[in-house]
Amino acid sequence: MATLGELRARVLPPCPALDVHVHPLSCFSPYRIESVEQDVRCLREAAQRSGVTKVCVFSLHPTCPREPTVAQCQEANDYVLRMRDLAPDFFLPFCYVNPMYPGESVVEIRRCVGEEGMVGVKLWVSRRATDPGLDPIVGESVAQDVPILQHAWRKTTGNLEGESTPGDVAHLARRHPRARIIMAHLNGCNPRGIEEVADCPNIFIDTSGGDPERGVVELAVARLGARRVLYGSDAPIRHFGVSLAKVLGAELSDSVRRELLWNNAARLLPARAGVGVI
Amino acid sequence: MAVVDVNAWVGSWPSQSINAGAAEVRGMLKGVGVERIFMAPLDAAWAQNPHLPNDLVYDAAQRWADVHPVPIIDPTIATWKGEVDRAQRHSGVRLVKWLPAYAGYELAAADECAQALVEADLSLMVQTRIEDPRGQHPLAQVPDVPVQEGSDLARRHPELTVVIGGVPWSVIASYADTCRELRNLYFDVSQADGMDSLSVLIHSGMGDQLLYGSHAPLFVPLAGIARIVADVDEVEAAAILGGHAEKLLGLTA
Ligand SMILES: [Zn+2]
Repeated sequence: MATLGELRARVLPPCPALDVHVHPLSCFSPYRIESVEQDVRCLREAAQRSGVTKVCVFSLHPTCPREPTVAQCQEANDYVLRMRDLAPDFFLPFCYVNPMYPGESVVEIRRCVGEEGMVGVKLWVSRRATDPGLDPIVGESVAQDVPILQHAWRKTTGNLEGESTPGDVAHLARRHPRARIIMAHLNGCNPRGIEEVADCPNIFIDTSGGDPERGVVELAVARLGARRVLYGSDAPIRHFGVSLAKVLGAELSDSVRRELLWNNAARLLPARAGVGVI
Repeated sequence: MAVVDVNAWVGSWPSQSINAGAAEVRGMLKGVGVERIFMAPLDAAWAQNPHLPNDLVYDAAQRWADVHPVPIIDPTIATWKGEVDRAQRHSGVRLVKWLPAYAGYELAAADECAQALVEADLSLMVQTRIEDPRGQHPLAQVPDVPVQEGSDLARRHPELTVVIGGVPWSVIASYADTCRELRNLYFDVSQADGMDSLSVLIHSGMGDQLLYGSHAPLFVPLAGIARIVADVDEVEAAAILGGHAEKLLGLTA
């Protein structure tokens, strides 16, 4: 009969783990969050209990507005900068922008990435990735040498207006071959979506989104290669450890797991993120 | 601590390319520390007669003492009483399962069957979801069973243990008051995903009515273990992972 300690050891990763997809608790908390300090503490403790070492964090603003204004994106970004300042060894902040405002988004990326040292860009789902409105934003991300995290899903029940499918993200990747695109939500993209981005070497899929379905991570690795799949949880919407179990419970070698859990993110992030390949 | 999985399956789910026999499912669950497996036939969801795939789980129980069959009972099949009798006669059966969304009946229409389960001294799992509707095959869309129907059933049949399976954690959380009132109502936490989800449910007083389920082979078996052991203390973890199920389903060491 296993002890709790043995069971806990079984669900921990065999190497450091970098989660590329995390939101502050102020956006999606299961309980009331009174301050940024509490947000940092609770998020970090939960991640560490599951063996997660560092996280890329982006706020969608505490009110998660359907159409965030430029000011709301700025507030969201100021919040994650405070998180980063409170725990610089743990949080890797991404700049949140709304593609409805391409010009203002470029200015915000220059502020957050160029001046404040954020290490990536996260796009809101207001416009599909096929929309040329995204182009100035992606161009600025390339100029600043940071990856872009783009939401994708293939919903049988119907996507939101402006919500991209993997096919839309492939269109974006082909328009910007120098961009490094993290396409979110492997399980939401499903096996059809994996094929839609297969021939785009600059698209990398994070393992977040949906349930911990068996076989999906193995399929993504088989179809895209071990260097194009990365661990992401979408915490706190999802549990760090449950999402991690998609990688730990997959039939993969430990060296492939290391690529998914750390090295692939390390290669995508700019040098100033201070995350080296292990 | 004894780990009892109250929500495992065997069989195939073609839209996700899942096809796992009993030996494979048992192997993957044993690999993460599960000691007793309550196994239901996945193929029943799409069978015209969902009772026919029950042979799969009866056969598995024949081979392994740690596998308990969880036969599907479908009250819309004319001979459902015979299938309840078969379950009652098998000493390993403690729990039977309903798949109302796949068979297309409302729980309010199944009271006679519920009463038969009480008389047969069997517990019931009502599976409200097998697959997130967003990821279902476009030509095989099945909505969730409203959890309220399950809690109403538990209210109408206080002698029946009703385990609601496959419910997202925030929906489980909204039943905290109902759980206080209905002590025969339980939730499997196989789909209760979310940061700190188990701690929040325990904090709201539902700890005694939560049961570990894996949803294997559809889900990675490690996932269901992870959400419990990462966040919950020794006593609560032991209870949710197996202690409650041992008591509820009459398991001896
Ligand atoms: Zn997200």
